[in-house]
Formats: sequence, structure tokens, C-alpha cells
Amino acid sequence: MQVSKQSRQFARQLFRLSLADGQISAERVNSVLIYLNQHPPRQPLAILKHYHRLVATQLAKNHASVEHAGPIADSILQTIERALTQKYQRPVTATAQPNPDLIAGLRITVGDDVYESSIPSHLAALASSV
Amino acid sequence: MLSYLLFLATAEEGKKASAVTKLLSDFGIDLPLLLAQILCFSIVAILLWRFAFKPVLSTMEDRQRQIESGLRYAEETKALLAQAQQESAAIIKQAQLEGARFVEETRKTAKEFLDQQQKDATVRANELIAKALQAIELEHGKMLDQARLEVARLVVLTTQHVLAKELSDAERARYNEAATREITVI
Repeated sequence: MQVSKQSRQFARQLFRLSLADGQISAERVNSVLIYLNQHPPRQPLAILKHYHRLVATQLAKNHASVEHAGPIADSILQTIERALTQKYQRPVTATAQPNPDLIAGLRITVGDDVYESSIPSHLAALASSV
Repeated sequence: MLSYLLFLATAEEGKKASAVTKLLSDFGIDLPLLLAQILCFSIVAILLWRFAFKPVLSTMEDRQRQIESGLRYAEETKALLAQAQQESAAIIKQAQLEGARFVEETRKTAKEFLDQQQKDATVRANELIAKALQAIELEHGKMLDQARLEVARLVVLTTQHVLAKELSDAERARYNEAATREITVI
């Protein structure tokens, strides 16, 4: 579906209204949704999809997905949260996700950035150097 | 004329008639008859000379001239023939020399052309061989690279399988801590 320029601009405005101190606020998102329900705009589905994409992107920036294989201590997650918060200058929360394919090591995904130190990545680097 | 001669003979030879007459009669010579014979002979001789010998002699002279001219012509022709033969022999010799020289030059040119063709063929063959060797070298390199990649892939796969089975949780936890230190430094 072709999203018009006005619809995209409107979705962006709604997204900016959903931020509080640079962070997505659940209350504000709820308010935006109520408003859209009460005052449905033109191309509501397209606007909602665009708004959803913007919100998800923003949430991903503040969320670090820590894929791991084997046991991981909470201290490691806290260390990662501190390091990423300092790096990105915004609060970042880390959540652990088991991934046996990593064999050992970590893969951290923050938005579009991926940090990996795992056995498969080291072996792949070794193979490419050969 | 004849009577005049007879008259002269009898009148002026009166004095000597006796000795001469005796001599003539001894030899049986009759003077008038002799004179007549001489006259007739002269006439016959003149007639023969004019109407026989002269034409015959002229004819003979003509024939002689013709023969001489024929012989001269034959001599000239012979000389011309000899000269023509000499000239033709010279021309033939010259042509033979020219032909031999031309054949020699052609043979030499053909040999040079053949040598050049052989050299060119040798050069082309060497170039083909060099290109083929280069292609073989490239293919060998490609094959080695592919083999290297395949071996690396198999080593990685095997290592992953082995580590997935052999690593204990404690070792994994230590690896996770090391990975955390590595990532947080970045």
C-alpha cells in the first residue's frame, strides 16, 4: 500500500508525541492510540504501520538482546547494560536469549548494531583469513 | 665484192704467182676456193657468232651470273644463318642463365619464406604453450583456493560440532565472561 507523504509526516508527529525525555512512554503511546481510535485519519492502517515501525525502532535502540549459549550470570547482563548505556548515552536494558547455535560466547543486538564474540564468529574469521 | 677480190688476186699477185702458185698447187690449195671458203666461213662464223654464240654466251653469262648471285646469296644466307644461330645461341644461353638465376632466387625466397614460417609457427606454438601453462597455473591456483576454502569450512564445521558436544557449562560460562570483557571494551 502506497503511504502518502502526509500520512508519513503525521505518523512521525505521533511518534514524537510518544516520546518522553527521548524515551518511548507507554502512557503517551496509549494516548496516541486512543486519539487515533476516536479521530480516525485518512489511511489509518498505513499511519499505524508507520507509527509502529518508528516505535519499534526506538524501542530497539533502548533494548539490547543478549544471545548466549551456556549459563550467563546476571552480573554479565548488568555489565553489558552499563557499557551500552555509557556508549549510547541513553538507558539500555539487556535481556538474555539462549541460542545454542553460538556454542559459547555472546551476540548483542542493539537496534541495528550487532556485537558478537562467539565461537562460530571466531571460527568464521579464522576461515576467512585462511 | 667477190669479183673485186678475184680481180685483185689475179692482177697484183702476177709477180709472185709462179712460186706461190707452185706451192699452192703442190699442197692442192685452190685460192679462189680458199677465199670463198674463207668468206663462207667468215659469214658462217659471223652468223653463228651473232645468232648462236652470242645468245648462248649471253645465256651462259646470265646463268653464270645467276649462279654466282645464287652462290653469293647462299653465302650471305649462310653467313646470316650462322649469325642468327650465334645470336640465338647467345639468347638461349642468356635465357638459361636468367632462368637459372630466377630459379635460384625463387628457391632462395622459398627457403627464406619457409624458414620464416617455421620461426613464426615456433613462436606461436611457444606462445600457445606459455598461455596454456598460465591457464593451468591459474586453474591450479583456483583449485587450491577452493580446496583451501572447503578444508577451512570443514574444519570450522567439525570444530563447531566437537565444541558443541565437548564444552562443559563451566567452560561456556568462562567463555561468556571473556566475550563480555571483549565486547564492553569496544
